[in-house]
Amino acid sequence: MNGMVLIVDDHPINLKLASEVLLASDYEVVVAADAEQAQQLLTTLVPDLILMDIALPGMDGLSLTRIIKKDARLRHVPVVALTAYAMRGDELKASDAGCDAYITKPIDTRSLVEQVSALIAVARARLPAK
Amino acid sequence: MDGRLVQELWDENPDAILAVAPDDTVLYWNRAAEEIFGYASAEACGRTLAELVIPSNRLEEEKAMHLEALTRRLTVYETVRRCKDGSLVHVSVSSKALKDADGRLRLVVSTQKDVTHLKVLRDSKLVEAKFRDLLESTPDAIVMVNVTGRIVLVNSQAERVFGYERNELIGTPVEVLLPARFRDAHHRHRSNFFDSPRARTMGAGLELYGVRKSGEEFPVEISLSPLPTEEGTMVMSAVRDISDRKRADQKFRGLLESAPDAMVIVGRDGKITLVNSQVERLFGYERAELLGQPVELLVPPRFRGNHPEHRSHFFSAPQPRAMGEGLQLFGLRKDGSEFPVEISLSPIHTEDGLFVASAIRDATERRRYEHALQQANRLKSEFLANMSHELRTPLNGIIGFSEFLIDEKPGPLNAKQKEYLTDVLNSGRHLLQLINDVLDLSKVESGKMELHPTTFDAELAIDEVCSVLFPLVKDKNIIIRREVAVDARSVTLDRRKFVQVLYNLLSNGVKFNDEGGEIRVLVDFDEPGSIRLRVRDTGIGIDNADFSKLFVEFQQLDSGATRRFGGTGLGLALTKKIIEFQGGRIDVESRLNVGTTFTVHLPVADPAEMELPEPEAIV
Repeated sequence: MNGMVLIVDDHPINLKLASEVLLASDYEVVVAADAEQAQQLLTTLVPDLILMDIALPGMDGLSLTRIIKKDARLRHVPVVALTAYAMRGDELKASDAGCDAYITKPIDTRSLVEQVSALIAVARARLPAK
Repeated sequence: MDGRLVQELWDENPDAILAVAPDDTVLYWNRAAEEIFGYASAEACGRTLAELVIPSNRLEEEKAMHLEALTRRLTVYETVRRCKDGSLVHVSVSSKALKDADGRLRLVVSTQKDVTHLKVLRDSKLVEAKFRDLLESTPDAIVMVNVTGRIVLVNSQAERVFGYERNELIGTPVEVLLPARFRDAHHRHRSNFFDSPRARTMGAGLELYGVRKSGEEFPVEISLSPLPTEEGTMVMSAVRDISDRKRADQKFRGLLESAPDAMVIVGRDGKITLVNSQVERLFGYERAELLGQPVELLVPPRFRGNHPEHRSHFFSAPQPRAMGEGLQLFGLRKDGSEFPVEISLSPIHTEDGLFVASAIRDATERRRYEHALQQANRLKSEFLANMSHELRTPLNGIIGFSEFLIDEKPGPLNAKQKEYLTDVLNSGRHLLQLINDVLDLSKVESGKMELHPTTFDAELAIDEVCSVLFPLVKDKNIIIRREVAVDARSVTLDRRKFVQVLYNLLSNGVKFNDEGGEIRVLVDFDEPGSIRLRVRDTGIGIDNADFSKLFVEFQQLDSGATRRFGGTGLGLALTKKIIEFQGGRIDVESRLNVGTTFTVHLPVADPAEMELPEPEAIV
């Protein structure tokens, strides 16, 4: 098992796609359909990475990211923002909110796994130094 | 001598003979008096001399003379009398007071000889000697009259303007130079002038006319100055024929009237001097209510404070310009309502000095239209943004799962399955490109596209585009060569847009090139501050007749090619818009079956003046 990834996305097919891609590369996957559900899950589990859709019903992904990045228990978990279209504004907003990376939808199934594993490796390398 | 003869001598005496009672009422008035003063004997008898013939400004003089007659019994003097028609005559008066045995005044008898003409000749001689040479040198027509309104001097300009010889005019009442309809009124004005003589313009604000000997009328401007002499006060009138000016004026007014805008002409003092009828319609005032009024009358009170300052600023540097550029200006109607206006100002230099002409346009409709347009544009952009988001979401599934299956992650596929899934994937990608292009196009059109220049390596940017195109290039066995001038390696531009332009032109070149063809990408500076990007292919070429269609949305030159080569039909249109948005331009040269060269000129930003990147709106 390469690590545990929490995917937050309100669109069931997109959620399923990201899940299948990561599962096929031997990741453990936990899914949430909105920010509130994700927040609930995060009270008991600390994933190795979070794939966070920005546009969510209710609380949006960036707000949840801000909460995560203020939480000492979760702060080190890399958060990858997922948005619909590559726009500078989104990129800036995502990094302002504390996201560690930014992926434009439609996700490239071929590079997603590479990006995820690289980010997890960086986060793990940082952890012992802390 | 019999009584009849004596009576006849009295009645027919060539000089006026009158007898006046101690209370100044007329007792006797002979025929010559009737002729000279215009009153019939019956009219005159019983009324006082003061009310009949003594001009108001001569009453004091008359009293003194009366006193002299009383003390010395006889007095002789020259004075001015007013006739029934208001005209004045010079008379030589001999008066004698007759008293009764007790020394009480019984009556005053006087003879009054009309010496008007003699006086004119005397005055004429005097002023000729004194002023003739001086007056010949002025450009205006000069007509000098004496107290009785008789012409005593004219200069040759006056002879020319009015068409009379000098000797025809000397001694004639000046009214001969006026159209008949003004003559009566003129008598009155003339005696008023002598009552309080001072230099002034005649009939300021009125249209004045002269009449030539031929009977032709012409517009004039007249200034009057009193000229005291030992023979009494004369009046000098300088007369200017303003026919030419009137004609020019008329032309100008005609022009004003034909202007579609309301025109207000204002002097340095801020007073309105001229308006056209569009002003009356727009502001609801009659012309007469505006002329001479401060122009601030047409400005809402809250803007009046600064207006005079703006005006003096305009007069200090008079240049045609739009008023309050970028500001919302308002006009004020007579009924107190306000409306938005656009105003342009231009200086008018006239012989009366500098004026400003303001052309005023009611901008109500335009502002409403602009507002609606902005609204519509915003709605369109929002719609496109939402639509593109909604269309992209399902594509995520289509593209993602196709890739996932093709990569055989869930399990092996047979050849046909793999081929068809690849078709699904390519269709999905094509659709995605189309959506992105439409969105970009709408961003350029709504002005929402922003530029974020950074300094980057052009060579690396070209390599990046080539690597994306590599699968296509490899299939068709096409060679891409790049030549980047040394000084063009590091450029300051919006990198994303540079890559987008390059990608569109290169993929176009690859699509329309033949198997084994060649594409050259050349980057250099053709002039300082402007980078030149050329993409030259050895493809099918474009007919020159089709150049105009090349950059139009969804106009592919031949639908067969579209089917063969794919493409959204938006690439070049979008490319052109993106280039022009950056202040650049794109040209194309082509020969059928030889190849096509697209040349892009892009102004580069000065790295020192680069702005910090501004976040774009989330779409």
